[in-house]
This record gives sequence, structure tokens and C-alpha cells, in this order.
Amino acid sequence: MTDSFVDLDVRPILRAGGEPFQAIMQAIATLPPGHGLRLLATFKPVPLFSVLGSKGFSHEAKEIGGGDWEVLFRPASATTESGSTPAASATDASNWPEPVQHLDNRELDPPEPMVRILATTEAMKDGDVLAALLCREPIFLLPELAKRGHAWHGGFEPDGKTYKILVRVGAGKKAAA
Amino acid sequence: MIGASLSRWTLSYFAVALLALMAAEVMMAAGYGYPHTGLRAPETLILVHVVTIGWLSLLMCGALFQFLPVLLARPLYSDRLALPALILLVAGLAALILGFLQLAGRVDPDLPCLALGGLLLGAGFALVLWNLARTVAAAQTVPLQAQFVIAGLLSVAATAAFGIVFTLMLGGVSSYEPFAVLTGAGLPLHIIAGLGGWLTFTAMGVSYRLLAMFMLAPETDRWSTRAALWLGVAALSIAVVGGTLAILTGGGLTAVLLAAGGVGLTALAFYGGDILHLYRARKRRNIELNSRMAVLAFASLAACIVLCVAALALGQLTEHVDAIVFLAAFGWLTGLGLAQLYKIVAFLTWLECYGPVLGKAPTPRVQDLVVEARAGKWFVLYFIAVWAGAATLVAGYPLIFRLSAAMMLVATVGILAQLVRTRRLADVKAALRLPQGAQQPRLLYALSRQT
Repeated sequence: MTDSFVDLDVRPILRAGGEPFQAIMQAIATLPPGHGLRLLATFKPVPLFSVLGSKGFSHEAKEIGGGDWEVLFRPASATTESGSTPAASATDASNWPEPVQHLDNRELDPPEPMVRILATTEAMKDGDVLAALLCREPIFLLPELAKRGHAWHGGFEPDGKTYKILVRVGAGKKAAA
Repeated sequence: MIGASLSRWTLSYFAVALLALMAAEVMMAAGYGYPHTGLRAPETLILVHVVTIGWLSLLMCGALFQFLPVLLARPLYSDRLALPALILLVAGLAALILGFLQLAGRVDPDLPCLALGGLLLGAGFALVLWNLARTVAAAQTVPLQAQFVIAGLLSVAATAAFGIVFTLMLGGVSSYEPFAVLTGAGLPLHIIAGLGGWLTFTAMGVSYRLLAMFMLAPETDRWSTRAALWLGVAALSIAVVGGTLAILTGGGLTAVLLAAGGVGLTALAFYGGDILHLYRARKRRNIELNSRMAVLAFASLAACIVLCVAALALGQLTEHVDAIVFLAAFGWLTGLGLAQLYKIVAFLTWLECYGPVLGKAPTPRVQDLVVEARAGKWFVLYFIAVWAGAATLVAGYPLIFRLSAAMMLVATVGILAQLVRTRRLADVKAALRLPQGAQQPRLLYALSRQT
């Protein structure tokens, strides 16, 4: 359980009509290992729950009066952060069910890999997992997965050439609910 | 990490840049500036800066706002800052042009336009650098290709610094002695930092990634890429830092520039080897127009180097520096820029319009947004015109040079028309054009998408 938090108060940004997303993502990126984020906002930041959920953070939100909210974001498993796969993991996928769909998109012309993954996930049930092999990190796919409420976990295989991504349909939405 | 999304103002940068390219081609066709006036004449300075700032730098900035995040797998620090930066750069270029006209005695506004232009441009580039530097700073790892871009960004800072010194001096705002010395002898360093460091080095970094991406070539960490990076950085440091010290201490530039040139040539040789490797190791056999036309740009770079070495060996560098710079700016940088623009505009338009509905409705492929056979003719015409132009400069036929420039203009208009058609989805079959949930893209900027 995480007990140390870094504080971030985005209420001044919000009151000034600004967009605090950048500041929040930056705070998340620079969190010391094992630390969580204590966020103060002027509303319940529901969209953030799925975005940070897909980065492996659980959340706990409470109203603190005057319409303001305090949200505690905790890294789901502080131990996995020291693992050797850098950067690429978004979610701990160890307790996900076996994939029901497998795609090998390594030989496809871009952006076909993205098209096939999105088309396949549209036909899957919530909670199902898709596994896909790619020849590079799917930079433009990731925001689209987050937008559609899917959770994902990805990284390069030890050969350094194949990128494997697991997508769990609808799991990003659940984190937000 | 949440990947990269669309940069809102990239297309606005591209649009202004293309207007500047056509303006420059009109000038050359009309006989404005070199070769009809001297290399250092105000008219030539106007032409050169419309090409290097108006066209090439804006193209590069717009592309970096989109592709540095892709190289780093991080979102851009600020999507919003890109617009004020564009306005500052355009205003700065306008003031700079007025300042050159003032130098020529054509206009006489009661303002130090030259110095104002230098400062506005400095502010614009500083804003671009700040935005991109914050993006780099937030990244956990900086891949090799992005390190080329960082060296390019340092070079644009150096180029702008020289430029500001020149404008303060020539605009009569400063009389600081070292500035006067730099203004007298520093022009080659300004050109090397700009064309070599900022534009060429950044284009090298971006091209490694774009070519690998579009041709399905493996992006392995090659020692030759690292050699190209570090030799290039060494060459630029020798030229810019060493050159500045040489000028300020009263030493000669020639030895410094020869040393930098030798190291830089080796860097380019490694780069050429890497590019050949990318084309050979590609998994995609039938490559698209952008990768085919990029070959012509690489050939222009090679021709530029051959010409440079030959002129040096014959002791005729001063006579042929015009053709060398022309080939670098229009064959290599503009050629590569236009070729990649053709693909980038199609891809960004496709992602903007169809990304949100992929898998939910039938959508066209990226290639359905373009008609390569039609665009290919304009590209071929463009490269033939550039090579003819370079030949007329070498041979010394200024009138035929104007004809070549007019041909470049016609080709550019032809390519631009294709880009506009792509943006308007004009070549997509009507049944597929706008599935439910998709929005018609705007011509000059990207719609921000709901999250």
C-alpha cells in the first residue's frame, strides 16, 4: 500500500480556464518510485480515472467541500515498476484471462495493424483479451484504445524486434466506473 | 506513456511554408535576387530567407510538432504554443524582409525593421525550441533518431543567434565590437549552422524513422547511425564553435571549415550507407511515391556533395557555391520535404477523419486518399527543373535559370493541388468518404478530437 503522495493542486489552473492534463501527466511521469499522486480539482475528474487506470494507477476520490475533490492515485503494484521493461507497460496484465483473439500484424503495411486491432476489438465482448504482434510500438493506436475505454499492456519481446500488445476490451471503462 | 496524437497546427505551418516556397519560385522566375543581383545583395537576402525561414524552417517546425512526439512516444508539451510561435515567425520574416528592403533603400519606414525582424524571429524560434525541449525533457528515453533532432535544435539556436547579431549590427542598433567582427566574417557559419545543422541534420533524424516506418524496414540500432550522429555533431561543433572562436581571435576560417567539412563528409557517408541499408532491408517491395521520390532527393544530396568536392579540388568553390547551395536547398531539402509531405498530409488526414470510426464503419485506406500516378508526374517535373536549374548555375546561364525556376513553380503548384485534394478527401469514393461519426477535415488545421 502506498502511503507517500506527491501533491498536485490543479484548481488554480481550472479556475483560470486552463487545461491541467499536461501538468497531471507530467506529475505522473516524474513520481518517485512507489509514490502516489494526491490531486486536488474543482470537479470529479472521471476521464482521468481511465487514463491513469491504463497506466496502472488505482484511484480513490472524495469530495472535500465547496464542490472540490481530492483524488488519491496509487500505483497498482509498486514492485513491478523496477522491472526491466522500460516505459512500455501501461497495466499489470498478470491477472488477465487468456487472449481469445491472436493477430500477427508484423508484415502489414502501416496503418493496417491499427485498423485490424480496432476492428477486432469492436467485435469482442467486454473483458475479453486480444493479443497482437507488431513490428513497432503503436504510437497512434494507444490514445485511440484509451478513448474507447480499453486497457492495454505492451512491450518489446526479448528479440527487440517484435512488439507484443495485449488489449482488454472495456477494462479502461471499468476502472473509471 | 499514452502515445502521440494529432498536432493541431502542423497543417497551418505546412500551408504557410508552401506559400513561401511558391513566392520564392516566383521571385527566381521573375529574376529577382541572385543570379541577377549579387550574392550579398538585399534582393538575394530576401529570396534566401523566404526559402530558409518561410519554407524550410516552417515546414520543419510543423513536422517536428507532429513527429518529435512520435519519435519519443510522448505527447507534445503544448499544442497551443505552436500557434503564437507561427505568428511570431511570420511577423519576424516580414519585418526582416522590410529590413532588407530598407538596406536596399527601397522603403524607408521609421523603424529598425532589421533588428525587429531578428528579435521577432528569435522569439518565435525560442518558443518552438521551448515547446520541443520540454517534450524531450519529459521522455524517459531519447532514441538515436531524436538525438539528431536535438542537435538540429541546438543548431537553429546558433543560426538564430548569428542572425540576431547580424540584424542588430546591420540595423544600426548595436556597435559592440565583437558583433561587428562576427558580422564581417560570420556569414559562412550562419549558413552552415542553418542549412547543415538545423535543416539537414534534423531531416536526417526524421528520415531514418519515416523511411523505416513507411517501408517496413527494421529499425535496429546500427553503429553506423551512431557514427553519423557523433561525427555530424563533431563537424557542426568544429564549424560553429571553432569557427566563432577563430573569427573572434583573428584567426583564419579556412582551416577550421576544411576540418569540419572533412568530418561532416564522413558523417554523410555513414548516413548514405544507412539509407541504402533501409531501402535494401525493407519488407515492403512496392514502395509508395514518397519513398520513391525521396530517392531523387538523396541523389540530389549526393550530387551536391560531389559538386562541392570537385569544386574544392579545382579551387573553384567560390564560383560554384551558388549551385551547391541551390542543390542543397531545392534538390535535397525541398525534394525530401515535398515527398514526405505528400505522405504525411494523407496519413494525418486519414487519422484525423477516420481514426475515431475505425472498426465501427467501413473506412478507406490511407492510399485511397491519394492518386500517386497523377502526383508522380509533378514530382518528376520538379526534380528535372531543379537539376536543370543547378546545371544553368554551374554553366552560367541566368536566363535559362529563370525558365527552370518557372518549371519548379508549375510543378510545386501541381503538387500543392494534390495535397489540397487529399485534405478535401476529393479522391475518396463517395460511398466511403464520410462514414457516420467521421468529420470532414478542415483545410488548414486539425480538428481537436473529443477525449
